[in-house]
Amino acid sequence: MDEETDFDVIIIGAGFAGAATAFQLLKEGIEGDRILIVDRGEPIGSKNLTGGILWGRELDDFEEYLGNWEMDCPGIERAINHKKVGFLSSEDALFVEGRFASWDGTGGTDEPSQRSSWSVLRAKADAWMAEKMEEAGIFVMAGMKIDQLHIDGLDHESYTARDLTDPAEDSGKGAAQKWKIDNFPKELVDKIRNGKISGIVQDGEIMTSKVVVIAEGSNSILTRTYHFDSMLNAQSKEDLLLGVKEVIHLGKERIDERFNCFPGDDERPPSGMAMELALSLYRDMAHEAWKEYPVTDGLYPRCGGFFYTNRETVSCGIIVQLSSLPSGIHTYDLYQAFKEQPAIAALIEGGEAIEYGAHLCPEYGLHRMPHRFTRDGALVVGDAAGLVFANGMQIQGMNNALHSGKLAGKAIAKCIADGDVSDKALDATYTKSLKASYIFRDLKRFEPATKFLNNPANFTWVPELVGKTANRVFREIGEEKVPAEKVLRQVRKEMRSNSKANKKGMGLLSMLKLALTGRKL
Amino acid sequence: MSESIKLGLFTYDVKNGLGLIGYNVDDHEHAHIIVDTKKCGDCDSMMCVWGCPAQCYMFRDVGLEEMKFQYEDCVECGTCFLMCTDGALSWNHPRGGFGITYSQG
Repeated sequence: MDEETDFDVIIIGAGFAGAATAFQLLKEGIEGDRILIVDRGEPIGSKNLTGGILWGRELDDFEEYLGNWEMDCPGIERAINHKKVGFLSSEDALFVEGRFASWDGTGGTDEPSQRSSWSVLRAKADAWMAEKMEEAGIFVMAGMKIDQLHIDGLDHESYTARDLTDPAEDSGKGAAQKWKIDNFPKELVDKIRNGKISGIVQDGEIMTSKVVVIAEGSNSILTRTYHFDSMLNAQSKEDLLLGVKEVIHLGKERIDERFNCFPGDDERPPSGMAMELALSLYRDMAHEAWKEYPVTDGLYPRCGGFFYTNRETVSCGIIVQLSSLPSGIHTYDLYQAFKEQPAIAALIEGGEAIEYGAHLCPEYGLHRMPHRFTRDGALVVGDAAGLVFANGMQIQGMNNALHSGKLAGKAIAKCIADGDVSDKALDATYTKSLKASYIFRDLKRFEPATKFLNNPANFTWVPELVGKTANRVFREIGEEKVPAEKVLRQVRKEMRSNSKANKKGMGLLSMLKLALTGRKL
Repeated sequence: MSESIKLGLFTYDVKNGLGLIGYNVDDHEHAHIIVDTKKCGDCDSMMCVWGCPAQCYMFRDVGLEEMKFQYEDCVECGTCFLMCTDGALSWNHPRGGFGITYSQG
């Protein structure tokens, strides 16, 4: 560590994970002018998109830099006190809806009174956070994309960024696909994948640092190419979701009224609603698609719907597991079906879409985490490391990003102080604290939930069964009244006789198995 | 409403949606995705076409005999790279400051 580096730490990506790393480094006593954070977006935030909801008060730890972030950050939109989950089929919608006084954070409740979730618009939030980093003295560079990391003893001109992720000329197909880098000399590959990282390369110029932090978010090219995440092949679509959404303008007053929100005052942000749904809207679309494209016959899109109220707008969209998408259905048409479902259409009536967008969301679970989080002189945080938690009741990623950034900041400061930023030292601090944190605790506890979530039943007959049953239990059209359980059995019987797939899927054993995995949520 | 649901007719006006997004499009020489369309010829599933949320890929779905790709509307999500099974894609993010600019996110 004798020779002077340009910076102590270079952070690639100014999202929540990168920003938390930077702020934590300041808290640990690293000087702001020894921290460089770069982002490919200009302005910062312009490449980012979320559903989405920020869970937990992780940002409180940076109060000295962010002040009253909950009131002042433009992208922190509404404090959620109203949550809905449920099932949506083409005809029926069934929700469980909660309004929780303790979520208002105004005291006087039996449960801990705390606001702990906010709807978020990231382009605005990240831009504000970047301003705060600058104010705190950190070097922030917008509009800078990093293609290559600087590796000790390796001429960066001996390979190009594209070499690392491009398929080979004669690539072959599917899982056996070959990559350009597979044909590189073994020694070069080993250097790229295991050499000591000591900076970044930008436009042929090297900027050095003691530690590089990869905080690129989902679809992180650097994580793949520098082999934190060794799955450089198309199989990884198994572990990624695509979110497709619109931001729809309804105006503040209309939102306050339509969703019965607290309008906000000097001390408290406006309140809002968060809704997440299992969707069974695609049966007819899928059958049409299978006829046209038998290559993906039987593949049924597994989709969730989300709906969040922002200050002036709502975020309305779907999230689809990419491996479940059949040929013949466009991802944006999955969104259209959601938007047109009567229960959703009613919520956005009179609104005007002001932005459309899409973004990948990692859903790795423990089984497909990066095989390492550190290497000599570098580590990976946030979505780039796949630190997203989903169990069907909750989907959390932004708090994990912030938390992993904090852990990284602490670990890096310690390693720099000790004069040892080797893989071993970073692993013993950062990875160790990550694995002891709530992020891994939650991922471990709810690992069985992944199986439940991937069960096609939840996206086919389950929403229909509960929707139809509720419909009949609640209505009065002159039928003989019977107990709900009997209605459920009757609906099941009808659905089984209507479709071959249902006959098999709704067998007693299949249903029991589903219930057993669902218990673990 | 329910009639169109029965028919399974849902078509998002994606061109209109894309029109709502800001872009700073880079020149062709710096296209961030390059598709080796020779490799697409006998692809049955065309998963890039279905996965792409920005209709950057058009092929037999619209009656074309050859894959037609344009990078200009790309939202930089990375879905096509994950979906391609034929090794036809060279994928990178656009140069710094170029490409999509969300103002809401």
